[in-house]
Amino acid sequence: MTNNAIELKQVSYRYARTDKYVINNLDFSVKPGEFVAVMGENGAGKSTLCQIIIGIIPNSLGGRLKGDVIVGGLNTKEASIAELATRVGIVLDDPETQLFTTSVRSEVAFGPENLNSPVEEIKERIRWVLDVVRLTGYEDRLPTALSGGQKQRLAIAAALAMRPSILVLDEATSQVDPLGVVEVLTLVKELNQKYGMTIVMTTDQSEEVAKLADRVLVLDKGSLVAEGTPRQIFSDTALFSRLMIRAPQVSQLGMKLSQAGHPLKSFPVSLEEGCQGIIELLADKPASPPKREPEAVTGVEAKPQNDVIISVKDLDYVYQPQDVKAVKNVTFDVHKGEFVAIIGQNGSGKTTVLKNLLGLLKPTSGSVMVAGMDTKTTAVAELAQHVGFVLQNPDQQLFAETVEDEISFGPRNLGLDEATVKDRLEQALKLVGLEAQRKEFPPALSKGERAKVVIASALALNPEVIVLDEPTTGQDYKGCHQIMQIARSLHEEGRTIVFVTHHMALVAEYARRVIVMCEGEILIDDSTERVFARPELVRRAHIIPPQITELCQMLPEELSLPRTPLSVSQVYETILARLGKNGNQ
Amino acid sequence: MSKSLVVYFPGQTFFHKLDPRTKIVFMVLVSTVIFAVQNLYLSGIILVVMVALWLLARLPASIVYGFLKALLPVFIFLFIVQALLYPGVTPIIKPLIPKFIPLIGGMGQVNLEGILFAVLLMFRLLAMVILLPLVSMTTPVHILALGMVRMGLPYRLSYTITAALNMVPILQSEIGVIVDAQKLRAMSTFEKGSIWSKLKSYPVLVTPLVIGAMRRAQSMAVAMDARAFGAMKTRTYIEDIKLSPMDWFFMIASTLGTIAILVAAAII
Repeated sequence: MTNNAIELKQVSYRYARTDKYVINNLDFSVKPGEFVAVMGENGAGKSTLCQIIIGIIPNSLGGRLKGDVIVGGLNTKEASIAELATRVGIVLDDPETQLFTTSVRSEVAFGPENLNSPVEEIKERIRWVLDVVRLTGYEDRLPTALSGGQKQRLAIAAALAMRPSILVLDEATSQVDPLGVVEVLTLVKELNQKYGMTIVMTTDQSEEVAKLADRVLVLDKGSLVAEGTPRQIFSDTALFSRLMIRAPQVSQLGMKLSQAGHPLKSFPVSLEEGCQGIIELLADKPASPPKREPEAVTGVEAKPQNDVIISVKDLDYVYQPQDVKAVKNVTFDVHKGEFVAIIGQNGSGKTTVLKNLLGLLKPTSGSVMVAGMDTKTTAVAELAQHVGFVLQNPDQQLFAETVEDEISFGPRNLGLDEATVKDRLEQALKLVGLEAQRKEFPPALSKGERAKVVIASALALNPEVIVLDEPTTGQDYKGCHQIMQIARSLHEEGRTIVFVTHHMALVAEYARRVIVMCEGEILIDDSTERVFARPELVRRAHIIPPQITELCQMLPEELSLPRTPLSVSQVYETILARLGKNGNQ
Repeated sequence: MSKSLVVYFPGQTFFHKLDPRTKIVFMVLVSTVIFAVQNLYLSGIILVVMVALWLLARLPASIVYGFLKALLPVFIFLFIVQALLYPGVTPIIKPLIPKFIPLIGGMGQVNLEGILFAVLLMFRLLAMVILLPLVSMTTPVHILALGMVRMGLPYRLSYTITAALNMVPILQSEIGVIVDAQKLRAMSTFEKGSIWSKLKSYPVLVTPLVIGAMRRAQSMAVAMDARAFGAMKTRTYIEDIKLSPMDWFFMIASTLGTIAILVAAAII
């Protein structure tokens, strides 16, 4: 017997009917009450590791598991699912697949009922658990009618009802909006600190990892490649140059500065440390006379009125028969060549606006004009040649046997001749960089590649505008940037980009204009810098600016660093220029 | 069609309050009569009773209307086929093709019996279609599952049935998303194409649907295992169900009604 909550001894695993090991020789342990974050690219084996820890592997899934896994004192090879379920619970990424009953109460009861617990005890547990996750009063609600954050809290409640001492969260915050992320992480922190639960969490929210985790494990191709405190991990320059995972933005800045020979006194992993470090670094470097920042270098340039490509006027949309007004009085124009982000919480009306742009919904009142056509009177297929749409979940449209057929589907629907179809296909393949995978079966590709197939199939219709609906959801850091790089190159080609996302670092880095929606209305519509320069307004829409922006807003004004930087490099270069200039004097 | 066909539609009507077992018995009885009875008037009565219960349970009438609309092509087809092919003795439209032509002579005659038979089929079809949502929309799925368990079904099996019911609305909304996605790839067959082209475009819809359902099922299995589903031979239920006098009354009434209709059908 050991005192560890989780212990992996020389664990390797391969799925049934394959001979490639997806987990290689993992050997680590987790102490009771410890908070461990697991990071790594998609496909590194994080989810498989979670299933190994909770004992689904090898109990329910076949394959070959070498080595031993001891969880809560039980060897998963010998223990039953029922025994394991009371030691360790799991929360998955997709709320829909882990909630399967028709009320909050029965969802929480589901586990204990399966264990044959007495009814009175179950009722007591429901009361306790709902109190812990703050869902008391929601007992009779339909789980599907809850918000994303509430759904994940309910999933946590359902796991807690089994009274486990270990909770595994597998990308549990990847599909909820920013407010939901805060709700879930606050709860997880409380479970760890107040109730002493052992937490294993896979995530790429490195800013949060830095705040919460005692230890970070980094997986790559099924092997443990790094292990340490957040500070040790996030300051490991070699690791980050080798792997595409995300360090907190302050750490990225710290890393860049130390590489340039100006390390901060202590390596920063939190906002406060970053702030402190920069103040010290620039302390003896008198600020040059405070100069006004050049007004919106990358902002909305003045546009002639004649190249409006999307024009939304007084748009109202009411969902029937529920009579829910989802969008109120929305007016905006998009000009050719713009790069626009639409942000806001789930339920703020973003998707409704997008669907109106695409002609999938017709305005209840007001008008939407796309490339000079009124969406009310134009067929969706006709509009699709002007506005290409990239769906959030690629799996909802991939059907063909090869990538080529998938991409050619749109142009063939238009009745183009085969030569043109072929042309369009080649162009699209080249733009997204999938030439090598052209004969592959789309659903068998990696998540990032599937997203690229979807982008390519939208491109094959040769639209002037590309609309992307949360294109990076479920993608890792590498996937996110590859997708956004494609969007950027399309933008450079002269196409107009409109995208919806919850990912503020991407908004800051790529979008030139931001439309913030809140409760069906436009809250702000301005250049990216100016939007993030008004944190109080942005917070009203429950949006948290990128960490680097927050950092600069915390710094004293006399340092005269950019107030609303959009990227780490921008701040880095300003600091470097200052250090260099002062150094030369 | 409405999106909420099998989703519980909360209400406080007597039909909502019936025990799930009563409703299951009711379902079995009604399906039996619908299948057994071939008489136009009796089938009409069954349909009227079903619609009356629907309205008493305060379920939206728009759903029945939606059924009618969705089944319209089927009805038209039935009418044409039965009107033309049903052997009858009361012609209401003279043969289109004169009798003396060999083989196809006499075709095109429309008989009253054919029309009536088509109406009968329509009544039975509608009654059948209303029956399932009448029960599923007035009973929360987990209560229905509990009903089946109390009637002796193993809980794993009853759960499988209710899980399938639960999947329907999810798949429905999934289909909506997929259709939209393919429309945006300039596919217009869902709006205006012929039946043939609609059939041909089936894989476009079904492939993503099936692959999505498989992915969903996989993670659902993990979530269920983690909550010890199936780990024990029996399980407890926090909800309890009890047969009230109303249940007994309703069960006796529907049994008597069933017998009456069956007897009437035998006599007529």
